Amino acid sequence: MNTQKKDMAVCILFALIFATGFFLCVFFPKSEYSYSERRSLASPPVFSASAFWSGRFMSDFEAYAVDHIPFREQLRMFKALTAKNIFRRQDNNGIYLWNGFLTAMEYPLNEDSLNRAIDRFRYVCEKYFTENNNVFFSVIPDKNACIARESGHPAMDYALFEALASQKADFAEYIKISDLLESDDYYKTDTHWRQERITDVAERLARAMDAVLSQDYEIRTLEHNFYGVYYGQAALPLQPDSLQYLTGKAIENCIVFDWQNNREISVYDLEKAKGKDPYEMFLSGSLSLITIDNPDAPADKQLVIFRDSFGSSIAPLFISGYSKITLADIRYVHPDLLGQFVDFENCDILFLYSTLVLNHSETLK
Amino acid sequence: MIFSSVTFLYYFLPLTAAIYFMAPKQLRNSVLLLGSLIFYAWGEPKYVFLMGISILLCYIFGRLTEKYREKKAGRLFCLLSVLISLSFLIYFKYTDFFLENFNAATGLDIPLLRITLPIGISFYTFQIISYTIDVYRGTVAQKNLVDLAAYISMFPQLIAGPIVRYSDLADQLKERPHSWGMAAEGIRRFMIGLGKKVLLANQMGELCAAFQASGEKTVLFHWIYAVALCLQIYFDFSGYSDMALGLGRVFGFRFPENFNYPYISASITEFWRRWHMSLGTWFRDYVYIPLGGNRVGRMRHLFNILVVWMLTGFWHGAAWNFVVWGLLFALLLILEKLWLLKLLPKCKILSHGYVLFIALISFVIFNGPGLGEACSNLAGMFGATGIPFLSDETLYYLKSFLVLFVAGIIGATPLPRHLAEKLSKNTVGSRILSVTEPAALAMILLAVTAYLADGSFNPFLYFRF
Repeated sequence: MNTQKKDMAVCILFALIFATGFFLCVFFPKSEYSYSERRSLASPPVFSASAFWSGRFMSDFEAYAVDHIPFREQLRMFKALTAKNIFRRQDNNGIYLWNGFLTAMEYPLNEDSLNRAIDRFRYVCEKYFTENNNVFFSVIPDKNACIARESGHPAMDYALFEALASQKADFAEYIKISDLLESDDYYKTDTHWRQERITDVAERLARAMDAVLSQDYEIRTLEHNFYGVYYGQAALPLQPDSLQYLTGKAIENCIVFDWQNNREISVYDLEKAKGKDPYEMFLSGSLSLITIDNPDAPADKQLVIFRDSFGSSIAPLFISGYSKITLADIRYVHPDLLGQFVDFENCDILFLYSTLVLNHSETLK
Repeated sequence: MIFSSVTFLYYFLPLTAAIYFMAPKQLRNSVLLLGSLIFYAWGEPKYVFLMGISILLCYIFGRLTEKYREKKAGRLFCLLSVLISLSFLIYFKYTDFFLENFNAATGLDIPLLRITLPIGISFYTFQIISYTIDVYRGTVAQKNLVDLAAYISMFPQLIAGPIVRYSDLADQLKERPHSWGMAAEGIRRFMIGLGKKVLLANQMGELCAAFQASGEKTVLFHWIYAVALCLQIYFDFSGYSDMALGLGRVFGFRFPENFNYPYISASITEFWRRWHMSLGTWFRDYVYIPLGGNRVGRMRHLFNILVVWMLTGFWHGAAWNFVVWGLLFALLLILEKLWLLKLLPKCKILSHGYVLFIALISFVIFNGPGLGEACSNLAGMFGATGIPFLSDETLYYLKSFLVLFVAGIIGATPLPRHLAEKLSKNTVGSRILSVTEPAALAMILLAVTAYLADGSFNPFLYFRF
């Protein structure tokens, strides 16, 4: 090919690419929601003189253009594969793949954040609890604690984190569970632990709180695939997880009430299991205040759990040991409001939080 | 708007290029001007007026300077134009710096103005100054306001250079050829620049950001940061220049080269002939030579060097670390002129090592963000802060960016270009290139689009200047 023909070929090729790109960007059908990233995509910017002069129209358009670029999911996957296979990057957007597990690099240890979380817990203790309450505290290590040990990815010092947490929370008895958890106890594509693999954790917590749990569970598996939150963030082509849940007589007979929406709900919401985040099937996901009444309880023993999303999947395992369990998520409700709904008298109290929340405690009210 | 954005690549560029090539020849500068104003307004809608006023004043003073060139008034109009342009630059860029230092020196508490820096003001102000001075020196002033405005505001080089002198572009504004060859050359250059920016500079920037966020900095991590920073700044700025030159070629212009593999230099003198060449040329022609250059006594010559490099540092930013950065180069250039240039050629390895070492140190100072932070990072590089030499985190980042380091270091040398030239001279190689080159360029665009779609880290370093 002579030089002129080669130059013509380059020009025509790129004229076609840019023209096609333009038409696709303008006319390609737009989605409102990204299922892989679990977020709403930017809506078209509204033009007005004030939006233009403030620059808001342009920044909104930039966000809209990126969010709605045609074949965005495929492009994100191409980027992830390029980073992993060509540039040999060890993580993509802070998420890495190791032995089939997608994990976020949770580090460094943020002691200020831990202090803030403990201060919030102390505030709750001082406001509501008396000597009749037995207060317990336990830290759930995130997946990186198990995986980074093998993979060599950066990780915070989890032993130090736990030591600091137990030492600072002097208002509670610390229950160690980190030694019971290994990588297989977590979903491969999600942040959370697998309910069917944490019965030993529930047992240890219950024993420390002097409760007896029934271990008579039936395992059920959801038919459809579970793509966890890291799957969308990592954008790598991976096999989905299977989502299993444990049920039994106490779980099936209990009554669950969602105080946030003033409605009765079920322990396992099978409609949510088909939704954007199937993990939300456990106690209907992120709700600020839930009570679980167990009419078949052997004794009048009550538990209040201050928790994050990890608590949604372990709480059902406590049902057989308590007549009433209250779950409060102080990321969504201010502690000052809890007194209107919860009677703490004679309750056992468990602060059960993952390192993901404790290390970023600005979300706690 | 930045070149490495979906908006530019898939909305602005196709539309502007289509309209430009469909427009009759006599309207093409108007299309470029309109496109440039939209391009600028996209990032700085209010400051379009400032640029408009600057252009108008430049036009009026240019005409007046030309008219009264032989009289004292010509000199006065030229001086007035330069002073007005500089006063805009000083007001928007340096007011808070002066106020801060005044407050610190006097103990007063005059509130800062917190003015947003108009994007590209340092670049277009220098173009305006070069135009007015060139007219005073004898270049014919531009009679057509649209053509002059198109020159000053031309979007390919508006916000991060290269600084194009009017005399280099005057004829091209009037009449310029367009051909498949020029457009193809422009596309190649643009794609290479885009790849440098998004695939190399941005990823090096991620490493620099990880270093800054790290709570466990080690001696080795400081050195990794310094290398990453050198590569980021080089690929960011030279990538932008490549894109500017490439777009210029597509629209029929030939802008001056801005980078010529600076990291292969064997002295700092050579480094500055290869790094940001358009800025170096500007300071030489409009500051250094008018001050007397080297045709003065030794002390005055050294003073001229000191002034030029202090201003060069200060041009890059209103902070002391930039001034120190400029003065460091002034000192080294003086040392080279006095002694080192005679010694350096005797040991090639040592001379290249010396340049790279200075580049590493200087860009750590350059990146600041303040003088204190820069000094702390320099101390960290030499283990003066008592930090460990190595940690798991450092090793992780070294491993994670190793391929990029190798690609970046090779890419910063002329090796890939030499290889391509060698291949193109060979019949078989030339055939292979004719197929693989367009495919490789398309792959770069695909990879860049993928990185942009992922919303990755994408700042442009030279926008702040």
